Amino acid sequence: MVRLAALAAVALTAAVHAFEPASRPAGDLPTILISRQLATARGLRAGDDVRLARDRNGRGARTFRIAGIYEPTPDPVRIGAARHEARLHLPDLLALTGEPDDPLADENVDAINIALRPGADAGAYSRTLGARAPGITVHPVADAAGGAGVFVVLERFHLAIAIVTIVASTVFLLALTVMLVDERRETVGVLRLIGLTSRRILLQVFAEGIALAGTGALFGILLALASEGLINRYFQWRYDTALVFVRIAPEVIWRTLLIAVPLGVAGSVLASWTLLRRGPLALVRR
Amino acid sequence: MTLVEACGVTRVFPMPAGPGVAVKDVSLEVGAGDHVAICGPSGCGKSTLLHLLGCVDAPTTGALRFEGRDVAALGDAERSRIRLTRIGFVFQRFFLLPMLTAAENVELPQAEAGVPRAERVARTRDLLSYVGLSARADHRPSQLSGGEMQRVAIARALANRPGLLLADEPTGELDEATGAQIAALLDRVNDDGTALVIVTHDQTLARRAARVLQMKDGRILDGCHRS
Amino acid sequence: MRALRFAARTLRRQPARALLGILGIAAVGALLFDMLLLSRGLVLSMEDALNRAGFDVRVTATASLPGTGPRIGRAPAVLATLTALPEVDDAVALRFGSGRVLMTAPSPPVGFTLFGAEPSRRRFWTVIRGRDLAARGDAPTGEVLINEALAAALGVDAGASIAIRASCVRANEALPPVHVRVAGVARFPFDTVEQRTAALSRRDFAVACGEPDDEGADLILVATAPAYGPDQARDAIARVHPDLHAVSNAQLVRQLAATRFSYFRQISAVLATVTLAFGLLLITVLLTVSVNQRLGTIAALRAIGFSSRRMVADVLAESALMVGVGGALALPVGLLLAAWLDRILKRMPGLPAELHFFVYEPRALWLHAGLMGATALLAALYPVRLVSRLPIAATLRSEITS
Repeated sequence: MVRLAALAAVALTAAVHAFEPASRPAGDLPTILISRQLATARGLRAGDDVRLARDRNGRGARTFRIAGIYEPTPDPVRIGAARHEARLHLPDLLALTGEPDDPLADENVDAINIALRPGADAGAYSRTLGARAPGITVHPVADAAGGAGVFVVLERFHLAIAIVTIVASTVFLLALTVMLVDERRETVGVLRLIGLTSRRILLQVFAEGIALAGTGALFGILLALASEGLINRYFQWRYDTALVFVRIAPEVIWRTLLIAVPLGVAGSVLASWTLLRRGPLALVRR
Repeated sequence: MTLVEACGVTRVFPMPAGPGVAVKDVSLEVGAGDHVAICGPSGCGKSTLLHLLGCVDAPTTGALRFEGRDVAALGDAERSRIRLTRIGFVFQRFFLLPMLTAAENVELPQAEAGVPRAERVARTRDLLSYVGLSARADHRPSQLSGGEMQRVAIARALANRPGLLLADEPTGELDEATGAQIAALLDRVNDDGTALVIVTHDQTLARRAARVLQMKDGRILDGCHRS
Repeated sequence: MRALRFAARTLRRQPARALLGILGIAAVGALLFDMLLLSRGLVLSMEDALNRAGFDVRVTATASLPGTGPRIGRAPAVLATLTALPEVDDAVALRFGSGRVLMTAPSPPVGFTLFGAEPSRRRFWTVIRGRDLAARGDAPTGEVLINEALAAALGVDAGASIAIRASCVRANEALPPVHVRVAGVARFPFDTVEQRTAALSRRDFAVACGEPDDEGADLILVATAPAYGPDQARDAIARVHPDLHAVSNAQLVRQLAATRFSYFRQISAVLATVTLAFGLLLITVLLTVSVNQRLGTIAALRAIGFSSRRMVADVLAESALMVGVGGALALPVGLLLAAWLDRILKRMPGLPAELHFFVYEPRALWLHAGLMGATALLAALYPVRLVSRLPIAATLRSEITS
């Protein structure tokens, strides 16, 4: 759904170059909001007066009062970019940036955000509006393929890394279970000699495997939850953003358990099965 | 010549229920060519005493000298060197390296002592022949019987021509007939000049020794010489 | 028997566990190698792409990205000043825009990215079919170069005639179409996989934009004279034109590395650290379990005279062998894995087709070897401690009683 911004403020980027404290006291000054990052970079506070111009030569400079400081909506596509932004009332922005000899300067905007009534079909509305107003592009926010495409790719990348990690873990797990099962070779041989069936012993191994794999998986999840905070704090500090980089959602926990526990159990059972294929006397003999 | 001399040695182990005294005020001398058997019930300290004599362990109190040298004053590297070149060990469970052949097991301590390859190979061949296993030189321990494994262990223990051979229950895991073969081999080793100290429950084996020491509760009760 | 040969025999005795351990190390090592390739991959690839384009300084009116900020005014005069500098070999002015090829109804117009460039001695594109744009001074040529994607979309090749409607400013405009002939098909650096691109001469671009007298440029590309470096050329440009913003390729790459590319450097550092920690933990466990299973044998070897140092050397050799073999195997596996991961990441929208995320450099190889070596050493610390402090007599006793 697309939300309507009550004041169609557009983040000024390259257009605004001169961000200077005003040098004269002002009466009824128009107000602006500035981003936290800009406030920190320039040492500005709410109540300060600043002059904005459309280029570094100071062309068309006007004085504004900072009404407040806002945290920019985290934008993962703009990670790494310095979020030095200001929000103006639309008429002020148009007056500041419009060409003086353009009679339509105060009527041109780059985008209009529209919030539909609950239940309305954004796709149908987009098509209708696009047909009625040729020359403009209308699309539902959910179809912003550019931004979504980046994260679809990143998701696939992270999934690929996860697959490789799972493969490596599985191989190591098999190596360990082979070693640990071999340690119990004599014990297993004695159990077979006294009459326990292979199936009975495998069931025992299965139960142990669930307990071990479950405990290991839970430990892993706790470790992930602890690292989640550390990783987010690091990247939020590094990029000066409120973006959340790692989130251990419930479905991630379930997926982890569904992969780790069966793998752990399978490793134990497989290693034990290869051992149980040998006769009891072969198992107890040194 | 005295090889190893223990004077009032005591060995105490820290245990959860309080200190456990495994060897209590034992004095003992083993000379060149001696044949000594140490007998006693389980837990009387026989193996602990053997480990002390073999410089594997250090006494808590008392003095221990090997070939006149105070063992307590020696560092770990020097004690290892003594064990490698002057003492041979035979264990109840053989402790052969399973990934090496019989010949390689016998060569191993010689290589560690820096013996040149040609000399090692020749000595190994001689030792395996001495213990009657020339035909099994290329077999791994898993391919040998218990008696054969113990004979390889004895050959390994003799690899660097030690003056003293220590055997801890050498026939403990063997049947009677095989045990008798091992006993005869150990007699031969002693007859050829190597001092022998055996810890054993086996009275047949003990009776072959020139001196039998009875141990109980960490002390040597009495010793008797056999002519 | 030397420690390494001994370790090899020990591993060969248990082939299944040795093989699994080595494969696990190879998988971990491959992931580590890939993270090292990723840490500077984009930067190296970008640097290479920029240098291959043939120009090493970029001049814009402001620090904004080319095409997003104000234009350089009176570009011909600026070009003349720059090419007169001894540090400059050649300079090309570029205009950026977009356009649509008008198709026969009912086919919709086909959009494309449009360049306007002065045909000069140097080109930043490569003609692969047909011929290049003719250089006719100030006169329009009526010719266009298109890329493969546009040629395929239009179903045309060199010699065809097309009608294009340009879009040259950000405000709404309705320019008349111009008819041009396709001189050739070219490859443009920094095109994305699906991007459609066309190039006109500056004069044809100005005509298409309805501004025949416009002398502005969005970007000037400068090639440094052989006797000078890019930084010297940049500084010389800054001296004669302090009102312009000049940046060398190396500077641009540094800026990109600090901003747009920094995420991949950071993520590769995080993943490399996690991978190393994971590998260290698992190798430590493998070695420790292996040593614990052989404590009796180790005690017996100590009893028969093997020194503590020798036993420590055996453990270190076992670690070195497993990690060495696994680490060597990790390299070809890592390269295959990198090719797969690179294919995934290259699907990122807006990414130039010739950029790669995983780029090999010798530094990555040495770093990989060093890190794996350090891991082998650290992983052996605990089992070495077990072995060096092993109570011989107590161990022998417990072997018998267990």
